[in-house]
Amino acid sequence: MIDQSVLLEVKNLRKFFPIRRGVLQKVVANVRAVDDVTFYIHRGETLSLVGESGCGKTTTARCILRAYDPTGGQVFFRTEEGAVLDVAALPKEQLQPLRRQMQMIFQDPFSSLNPRMTLLDIVGEPLLVHGEKDADKRAERVAELLRLVGLRPEYMRRYPHAFSGGQRQRIGIARALALNPRLVVADEPVSALDVSVQAQILNLMLELQEKLGLTYLFVAHDLSVVKHISTRVAVMYVGRIVETAPTEELFYSPRHPYTEALMSAVPKPDPRLRSERIILQGEVADPANPPSGCYFHPRCRYAIDVCKEQTPRQEEIAPQHFVSCHRARELTLRGIVRK
Amino acid sequence: MNNGNNPLLSVRNLKTYFFQDEGTVKAVDGATFDVYPGKTLGIVGESGCGKSVTAQSILRIVDAPGKIVEGAILLTRADGSTVDVTQLHPDSKTMRDIRGAEIGLVFQEPMTSFSPVHTIGNQIIEAIRLHCAVSEKEARRRGIEALRSVGIPKPERRIDEYAFELSGGLRQRAMIAVALSCNPRLLIADEPTTALDVTTQAQILDLLRDLQRQRGMAIMLITHNLGVIAEMADDVVVMYLGRVVEEGPVDDIFHQPKHPYTQALLSSIPSIESTPRIKLPTITGSIPHPYNRPSGCPFYPRCPQFIKDVCDKNEPTLRAVSNTQKVSCFLYDEGRRTKDEGLVS
Repeated sequence: MIDQSVLLEVKNLRKFFPIRRGVLQKVVANVRAVDDVTFYIHRGETLSLVGESGCGKTTTARCILRAYDPTGGQVFFRTEEGAVLDVAALPKEQLQPLRRQMQMIFQDPFSSLNPRMTLLDIVGEPLLVHGEKDADKRAERVAELLRLVGLRPEYMRRYPHAFSGGQRQRIGIARALALNPRLVVADEPVSALDVSVQAQILNLMLELQEKLGLTYLFVAHDLSVVKHISTRVAVMYVGRIVETAPTEELFYSPRHPYTEALMSAVPKPDPRLRSERIILQGEVADPANPPSGCYFHPRCRYAIDVCKEQTPRQEEIAPQHFVSCHRARELTLRGIVRK
Repeated sequence: MNNGNNPLLSVRNLKTYFFQDEGTVKAVDGATFDVYPGKTLGIVGESGCGKSVTAQSILRIVDAPGKIVEGAILLTRADGSTVDVTQLHPDSKTMRDIRGAEIGLVFQEPMTSFSPVHTIGNQIIEAIRLHCAVSEKEARRRGIEALRSVGIPKPERRIDEYAFELSGGLRQRAMIAVALSCNPRLLIADEPTTALDVTTQAQILDLLRDLQRQRGMAIMLITHNLGVIAEMADDVVVMYLGRVVEEGPVDDIFHQPKHPYTQALLSSIPSIESTPRIKLPTITGSIPHPYNRPSGCPFYPRCPQFIKDVCDKNEPTLRAVSNTQKVSCFLYDEGRRTKDEGLVS
């Protein structure tokens, strides 16, 4: 990680979940949830991991936070002090000081807040855990955080049930920001919200990023949301990243056939744009028993013999544009039509 | 009968309320719309707008303490006669004949809508034998045919599998196969693709369109996803808190929305075509709790064009603003500025 502007670099990350069978619980196979994932995030930018369910995007996020122990690979993180640590290799007891620098926003604002704790307890808990013993100072900081996310500080004695979905998500964001983290991992933060509320939360996240210089790793399946929030986007398919590129470049000129199909499948909110969609045949591959070569080849309409035999390597085909496809340089693919 | 001008289903001023100890939830509060043969009507709205309860009312499967308190649901039956569904007993023979045979229903969650202890075959054969007088063997043959028609590979084998053995996309296809097994003339699809991934969603939407073309059936598509509506619907009904706020052909709704709610909804959704990282216009506040329903127009507390002493006092009614488009908003009231007082009458 030579580049000073890189905050997080993930290299060849793997996470396999063993499938055990029989009396002796012998490992008969592995679910290759994350299978050789490599990417980096610059300070102050938003990288989105996008893909369909089961593609390993949440597992990747959890490995970075060490909620899961990775099976292999490295996760380099530049700390506040300027040191570069491999989060994947740190022993458990050395993780705590690091945790204040990496925080998480969860998907479901209903189950991620304890119904028996007040906002003061919920947002103040990370402060307490990380050594702020003075209750008044905690309350002061909680008030400040609530104001920051657009809630009234007077609400801090209330319980989560008194708030709507959008407000609860604001509480979750306040909790994540309590310790001034450098990296915020947001796992589907708006997918449980009503469409009219989604925009409010996305705006808040953009605003906070500007104000506090936050770096986001944004995990989502909704391409419209991803396009709205990201500086760069990484597309995952069956545990692997197939393409990474700056947002506009990825949407307007995708270079991987899966990205193209994904873009084409999104229903556009304009009846005049009913276009010929690319309908992918078949089902997403089983990560416990992936196909040979490129995992996408059985569904790819451009597949040739080499795709069945060899795993494509990730190549930088334009500045910051990485693609894992044997035919990336020769294919002309269709992106979103620019208005 | 299939001349396209006579609606297959006419919902008139439907009101379905839930009577609870804490108060009455007016889940559907005066919905009016028509569904035409061979066409797709999209019903769009956010959570709590009453779109699912409308579907349940049409099939008379509203759970207690919910009740249809007013209105009519006129269904043109296969023999050409018209029946008001609200006048039938939910368990009556006629109602049971309509359910499944004339109106098919596809639910949102394919996992919970199938029984986990019966095979797909059991469930599809049950539906067929309930409505058609055929032998078990013939029903099975038809079941396999139905599964094949929705694009399930190896249907002879799949018919003996359980729901949990199928992937999400295949389960939703099987669900559609059950709904279509008796050739209904109206298919109600309640958020049919919400639980699915985009590529699978594209497959299912394509399938629905193909089946509609082959069979000429009407589809009532209920969803909160404006993209799905834009792709599929011929006509659109926009609902907010149990009321229809706007209605019209899909192109008008998306390109000349009249109601402030429709306008706000369309501008606040992040679109795959919009510029990245710009601030989205938002709708202030959130959907009110059904017990605290605002007086007057249900949208007024969030409406940017709210007119004081009009919108909060009186309830707007759905009225035509063009040959095709109807809207329920005081902004389009003629003479609003001259005689504010006489609005209710």
